[in-house]
Amino acid sequence: MVGLSVGEKHFIQGGIAQDLRTDGRKRLTYRPIFVETGVIAQANGSARVKFGGTEVIASVKAELGRPSSSAPDKGKVSIFVDCSPTAAPQFEGRGGEELSMELSAALRQCLLGGKSGAGAGINLSSLSIVDGKVCWDLYIDGLVISMDGNVLDALGAAIKAALSNTGIPKVNIASASTPDEQPEVDVSDEEFLQFDTTALPVIVTLTKVGRHYIVDATSEEESQMSSAVSISVNRQGLICGLTKRGGAGLDPSVILDMISVAKHVSEQLMNKLDSEIAAAEAAMEEDS
Amino acid sequence: MEFVSPEGLRLDGRRPMEMRQLRAELGAVSRADGSAIFEMGNTKVIAAVYGPREVQHRGQQLNDKALIRCEYTMANFSTGDRMRRPKGDRRSTEISLVIRQTMEACIMTHLMPHSQIDIFVQVLQADGGTRSACINAATLALADAGIPMCDLVTSCSAGYLNTTPLLDLNYVEDSAGGPDVTVGILPKLDKVTLLQMDAKLPMDIFENVMQLATEGCKAVANYIREVLMENTKQLENRRGV
Repeated sequence: MVGLSVGEKHFIQGGIAQDLRTDGRKRLTYRPIFVETGVIAQANGSARVKFGGTEVIASVKAELGRPSSSAPDKGKVSIFVDCSPTAAPQFEGRGGEELSMELSAALRQCLLGGKSGAGAGINLSSLSIVDGKVCWDLYIDGLVISMDGNVLDALGAAIKAALSNTGIPKVNIASASTPDEQPEVDVSDEEFLQFDTTALPVIVTLTKVGRHYIVDATSEEESQMSSAVSISVNRQGLICGLTKRGGAGLDPSVILDMISVAKHVSEQLMNKLDSEIAAAEAAMEEDS
Repeated sequence: MEFVSPEGLRLDGRRPMEMRQLRAELGAVSRADGSAIFEMGNTKVIAAVYGPREVQHRGQQLNDKALIRCEYTMANFSTGDRMRRPKGDRRSTEISLVIRQTMEACIMTHLMPHSQIDIFVQVLQADGGTRSACINAATLALADAGIPMCDLVTSCSAGYLNTTPLLDLNYVEDSAGGPDVTVGILPKLDKVTLLQMDAKLPMDIFENVMQLATEGCKAVANYIREVLMENTKQLENRRGV
């Protein structure tokens, strides 16, 4: 994918070993983060996030649906990611499908928790309207516009920003329906409830190159990786999900070390992201 | 349904011969050779150009000119009702073809034999006129990539509803079932490279509607030229010339 000469490969690996990467960053430094909210007018919430040369858009759409019989008091959330061919020519046609599936699955693991919905980063109970009858279905769509490494973290950040931008319409339930009937609901188009995103985790991907690991790798650096571990950590410092990618095996003690580093880095990322989201929201209000 | 009020205003408050607000931005995709965002009102598309580069499938290589390829994709969230459409459906394939043919008309392909140029357009928001918006975005992206072109192709649509010719239809007007004329022109050479119409229309009215769409194309061309000039000035400043 990335064409590198032997010299360039050595330069990248040597730089990482000496804690000075090709773009001048240290191993645990992020590229500049840029957040813009409300970019898609038709969605309930949306955000565009840039991590250096990586750019993604996330949109949230809420639709009324029926809760599943196994979890009648919870709403449903589905996450889909698409890789646009604008990001790389090899995504043309069905070329991006494999990566899209991998990213969607990783995001589901990191944000949605188990099948029962337990341990989810998104509070599914808040999406319930009438137990067992009506609930909100949240469709979260991610779109990769431009790709320069670390797409998963960017998608996680974009989803967090989009959800904090999401207004879910207030619903009035017409009472006096028998317990068996589907209740009539009236969706308000004026009043919106803000979605609570304080519990939403951020995703930190540590990419292992040589003996060291780095955050926010560029495509060039990712081409040199042996393996990568994506860890989602919430504000309390709890791990909400974890996925490992890449071929090489990892020593269990290294994984534990990576987790503690990720926990430390996630605090900085979370604070940085929160301030960027707040700034984006403020800028949007100024515009309107 | 009434699409033009007695006061002469359309559903979104425009006059019949008024275009939606245009906005364009160059260099939206950092890894691409050229890219642009183009907005016409609520319609928003991104175009990215990769190339000229080596031909990927040897069998497609052309010995006397460059191979142009184009793909049109719509984001899941681009339409009002969310839908997950399969890739490569008939409509996307048709629009890809239309964009490719339109761009081929202006790219000086004979200067780049044995090479390939990829144009990818991604619709972020669809509110009518995606075809035109994609062509305009592709023109800007090609210019940003520095690909030799004989002119800037621009496109605009016009329709005919309530016995009034309307410029630049939005989604509601587009789905009203009236005729929809999409025109693409080479403004400097004054040539039409794209012309599509559905539904029927008397000859004399068609002439008016097409004239209106052509005027729209010229307005878009002026805007695109301004954006490119502004961009070049900025580049010049950065180089310190």
